[in-house]
Amino acid sequence: MTSVQTIIGRLFGSFQLNLQLFFLTLLFSLPLGLLIAFGAMSRFKPLALLTKGFVWVIRGTPLLLQVLIIFFAPGLLDWGAPWGSGMSARFTAATVAFVINYSCYFSEIFRGGIQGVPHGQMEAGQVLGMTKGQIFRRVTLLQVIKRILPAMSNEVITLVKDTSLARIISIKEILMMAQEYTGQGLIWPLFSTGIFFLVFIGILTIVFGRLEKRLDYFRV
Amino acid sequence: MPLLVVEGIEKRFDHLEVLKNINFSLDQGKALAIIGASGSGKTTLLRCLNFLEYPDSGRIWVDGELLLDAGQQKRLSEADVRFRRLNFGLVFQSFHLFPQYTVLRNVTLAVELLNRGKEQTKNSAIVADARALLNQMGLSDKENAYPHQLSGGQQQRVAIARALALKPKILCFDEPTSALDPELTGEVLRVVRSLADKHTTMLIVTHEMAFARDVADHVIFMDQGIIVEEGPPDQVFGQPKEERTRQFLSRYAQGG
Repeated sequence: MTSVQTIIGRLFGSFQLNLQLFFLTLLFSLPLGLLIAFGAMSRFKPLALLTKGFVWVIRGTPLLLQVLIIFFAPGLLDWGAPWGSGMSARFTAATVAFVINYSCYFSEIFRGGIQGVPHGQMEAGQVLGMTKGQIFRRVTLLQVIKRILPAMSNEVITLVKDTSLARIISIKEILMMAQEYTGQGLIWPLFSTGIFFLVFIGILTIVFGRLEKRLDYFRV
Repeated sequence: MPLLVVEGIEKRFDHLEVLKNINFSLDQGKALAIIGASGSGKTTLLRCLNFLEYPDSGRIWVDGELLLDAGQQKRLSEADVRFRRLNFGLVFQSFHLFPQYTVLRNVTLAVELLNRGKEQTKNSAIVADARALLNQMGLSDKENAYPHQLSGGQQQRVAIARALALKPKILCFDEPTSALDPELTGEVLRVVRSLADKHTTMLIVTHEMAFARDVADHVIFMDQGIIVEEGPPDQVFGQPKEERTRQFLSRYAQGG
């Protein structure tokens, strides 16, 4: 029988994988999402259509399926081993799938936020001689951030829980780890994983609450 | 030589001709009021001068310099437009202050950005200029307020200070009081009046007929994309020559 301490230690260890996947996905999908949002808003119609089609495919199919395809497709199609080998290959593949998936969701949030800023703000910047870049950075950006924070906090919280889907390609994240103990007749490790998620999401909720409060000083 | 010369401006949106061969000029230090019903093209004209719309044809001169020869020369690049439009300032109907900045920052931001890398003016001088403008607008005690904390009339006065901060040669107003509650229009009109008294060159699109008559040196009446009638205010308002002007004015006299 494994001791309670050992089990909890292992759960902590495996939750590291969830956290790594979470932070890496955020790190890459936020800028990529902004890029996709600009693509979808492009005045160059083919680019806008292509981007919107891509977002439709990614949002229209299960993340689980995307993880499977991205992990298995290169091998099945004889593309070599772009993800490397062993456990790190699985983790890389999962990260790539998550980044693609979440950047598409984020792009829609960004697009809504950017298009929600009144056009008059842009025009005010223009007649004051600002460049497009200056208008985006100095005028639009903070208003966009304020508008999208609630939707972003939703999406980010969903991402925390979605990291458990990585188990589909045998990444030993916390749920998979806990489930192994049910074979030993132990059910509490599985239940306790909920606490890990609750605590981490609790922290995120506080962080987002603070951010919203910090932007409370102005109205859009 | 007039400060502003506008010649043959045409603008269409798809099949709708919004401006048809618009010609007028404006002398240094004078105030020009443009009146007319909604949809007559007066706002589009103002937006063309500020390069927010690109005319299909026509020329714009300021101070003897040809700013725009639409339809003839190649379409101006964004960088060209950026500096040419600085000849004009624009005060919008619904202010469009930047909500995340204080009143003072709203006024200084664009000046600082333009001044960047040139170091012609110290930032402290920019702030001092902005404070002087806010003082002139009667807003000295509001420099640290945010736009949402101000009344519409105060916001519009900040917007006027913001436009003036760049020292435009011609200040344009696009129905500056139309978004305001009636009791707040007076404070904005008084500010515009005081600018006229200081001989600020102004182009004012307005629905306030009494104000236009009082403050303008010259009045243009527009209808369906053309200038129907123009002249000194006493003539246009007192003895309009055109039937369309008479009809428009009598509708206003009856209260809309």
